[in-house]
Amino acid sequence: MKWITKDEPGSIKLMMGNEAIARGAIEAGVQLTACYPGTPSSEIGEVLGEVAKDLNQYFEWSTNETVAFEVAAGASLAGARALTAMKNAGFNLVMDNFMTLTYGGVKGGFVVVVADDPGAHYSSNEQDTRIEAVAAELLIFEPQDQNQARLMTKEAFDISEKLELPVFLRSVTRLSHASGNVEFGKISQKRNTIGFNKHWKIPYRWDVYGPPGPQSKREWLHSRLPMMAEYVENSEFNKLTICDSKIGIVTVGIAATYVKEALAELNLVDKIHLLDLGIVNPLPKAKVAELLNNSDHLIVVEEGDPVVENAVRLLAKELKPEIIIQGKLFDNRVFPTEGEMDPDNVRIGISNALNLVINKDLKREELKAAIKKIITTRSSTLCPGCPHLGSYWAMRKILEKYEGNSIVNGDIGCYEQGGYGLATNTFEITDEDNKNFKINSPYEILDTIYVMGSGIGMAQGQYQVGHKGKILAVAGDSTFFHTCLPTLANAVYNEADITFVVFDNTWTCMTGHQPNPVTGIKGNGDVATIISIEKVSEALGIHSVSVADAYDIEGAKKVLKAGLDYNGPAVVILRRECALQVLRRKEFPPFEFEILQDKCIGCKACVELGCPAITFANGKADIDRALCVDCSLCAQVCPVDAIICRSV
Amino acid sequence: MKFNLIICGVGGQGSILSSKIIADAAIKKGYEVRVGETFGAAMRGGSVSSHVKIGDIHSPLVAHNSADVILSMEPLESLRVSVDYLAPQGIVISDIRPWYPVDTNAGGAPYPSNDEIIAELKKLGKEVHFLDAAALAKKAGHPRTTNIVLIGALAALGKLPIESKYLIEAIKERVPQKTIDVNIKAFELGFDSIKKS
Repeated sequence: MKWITKDEPGSIKLMMGNEAIARGAIEAGVQLTACYPGTPSSEIGEVLGEVAKDLNQYFEWSTNETVAFEVAAGASLAGARALTAMKNAGFNLVMDNFMTLTYGGVKGGFVVVVADDPGAHYSSNEQDTRIEAVAAELLIFEPQDQNQARLMTKEAFDISEKLELPVFLRSVTRLSHASGNVEFGKISQKRNTIGFNKHWKIPYRWDVYGPPGPQSKREWLHSRLPMMAEYVENSEFNKLTICDSKIGIVTVGIAATYVKEALAELNLVDKIHLLDLGIVNPLPKAKVAELLNNSDHLIVVEEGDPVVENAVRLLAKELKPEIIIQGKLFDNRVFPTEGEMDPDNVRIGISNALNLVINKDLKREELKAAIKKIITTRSSTLCPGCPHLGSYWAMRKILEKYEGNSIVNGDIGCYEQGGYGLATNTFEITDEDNKNFKINSPYEILDTIYVMGSGIGMAQGQYQVGHKGKILAVAGDSTFFHTCLPTLANAVYNEADITFVVFDNTWTCMTGHQPNPVTGIKGNGDVATIISIEKVSEALGIHSVSVADAYDIEGAKKVLKAGLDYNGPAVVILRRECALQVLRRKEFPPFEFEILQDKCIGCKACVELGCPAITFANGKADIDRALCVDCSLCAQVCPVDAIICRSV
Repeated sequence: MKFNLIICGVGGQGSILSSKIIADAAIKKGYEVRVGETFGAAMRGGSVSSHVKIGDIHSPLVAHNSADVILSMEPLESLRVSVDYLAPQGIVISDIRPWYPVDTNAGGAPYPSNDEIIAELKKLGKEVHFLDAAALAKKAGHPRTTNIVLIGALAALGKLPIESKYLIEAIKERVPQKTIDVNIKAFELGFDSIKKS
């Protein structure tokens, strides 16, 4: 039995926030979980997938977040306790039904977990998804530590069933990807009965158009709000401490932990009022009113956008308009409006709001500034032997042969590294209309990167307005099924002459190697049907579909050329399993590569390949044997055959 | 009691496992603990650090200038983290082996020498220990135990509020069954390297 499924109430374990959320769902007796991986949320699905069979639960990695949401929503309508988890970006895909499902509500407890990423550590943006959940008029939990994440997840199922509404649980990177003490609670053995009742409590319950129509369903939704308001007023997740003071702090989620440390540091514990919220929406109005009554100055501290601050200000406008409120809104703001909160900016913000003296060691700051000058940047890279290194090299070389300014539209996955550049490269922009910089590393090849599935669509717009030069789009295997299918159909339907290159490395690698429709494995470990990317492309009407091994640079160049020369939409699949997965299975090739030092001319072609196993010193390249996986790519790019292969 | 530790290195070196071992040991001793991981996109090769906070703490992040110890798998990374986080009374322990960034290999960025790095670290903190942890790991039986050698060195400093027995127990639970002996040996070699110096 896996450690996380042990029914040992009271025992304390170190758990990641994501593990704690999974444990909360296990304790609540979740019956179905459907997710699409996305950092920092992926481990929730990983844990629930691993234990699904042991606990007789259903788990799937869905093909995208919308699918995951619908699968979980469907289960809930049929009476089951269901959970879906995703990252901030993926949540955007879910908006359609997220804004509609609430009109009829749900039956089995339905918990929607979204992990935001303030600071954009692993994301294209810093978006605060609480805003959407407020718009959907849902209850929003925001845990401040791992144990609370477990408790809230468990509670979310219960309250979802009482309210008959989905419950939103917002995590952030510093909760999901941080670990802390978590106390095991009791695992519920109770399981909801599965059954579907078309007119459960309300006529046409699950048909938003069912008579008399959507507006009456929204009236039903609004009839739940007083129940929600009463719940948040009494919830022990919202704590108000009133002291002998005229100053108060309102905080929520992870920001509360920085506040508590700052108050200790500033010797203000129990000297100012503290409203420590665990629920973002709705606000506990009576508690906020009591705080307003006792204060003439409030500081609002939260991670992300000013969601709670907005709500507090709105209420203050009604109850005590003269009160001073400081947070992230307006000119008197004391916290940054970009980036994440941390112990330093929270302490400094509170100090500034209260006009406290901030001691700064100027000499030390000068010393630090001087030292920072010698700290070389460490740009991230693809892994040693990553198949994308071969794909990008082939793409760069073949594009050199075409006239005009080619555009390579990127997408989200490990291959987005192809647009990260090297921080040490500096470019002088001389011609505003033609920023066609020399590509000097594989990490410069992508020209656009936004979100999953965006590249292949943008490529079509570039073609339709007559861009001169080749237009490409890149996506991975999981992304192909995630958001590229409708867009690929569009390329055929509207005849866009673009080359769509699929980097197929068998797994959803960037988020931790989850399986997907090309892997042959399901989320619970069962064998799955492999869906062929080439057959799907052909079936959609792509007439130029070709495949090559990403470790065969000449072969990859050939199929890329075929795709680029084809007049119409073409699909090129560059395939090779992720090198890390091969390494994990300890499948070592019976040969290894070596750079002959006397033959190396120091041209840096192998360095330009971008492989971190290549080192360069004293005018010669070498291979770091500790990192090399003997993929042969560097030997293929060496112009003087200085890299040789030996059997071992 | 509050103890702030940051474990850093390059992605793939094992710093996250180290932080979990120390956190497990802290829980065994009965402390409240938080571990905050800081790294960029999930690929290997980037800078990685784990903040480990033990005792009367709430948040998963160490404040600037307040790390009691910085434990680094790589020399330049020890400086990168120390410059922001090391307390003036803090201690740095690092492996001596540089992992050159791709930026250095590409020719755009010089990599400072270990002597230079040590000199700057001494300006920032109180004590600096550079050891050939990778060599000790090899001696213990496997180069991948470098992180455990460094945990041994940390234990020997006597600053960590956790006795070695808890650390050893945590190591035994976290590493693969077959590698327990090699890892314990690595811990001991790291411990002795500080005790003897």
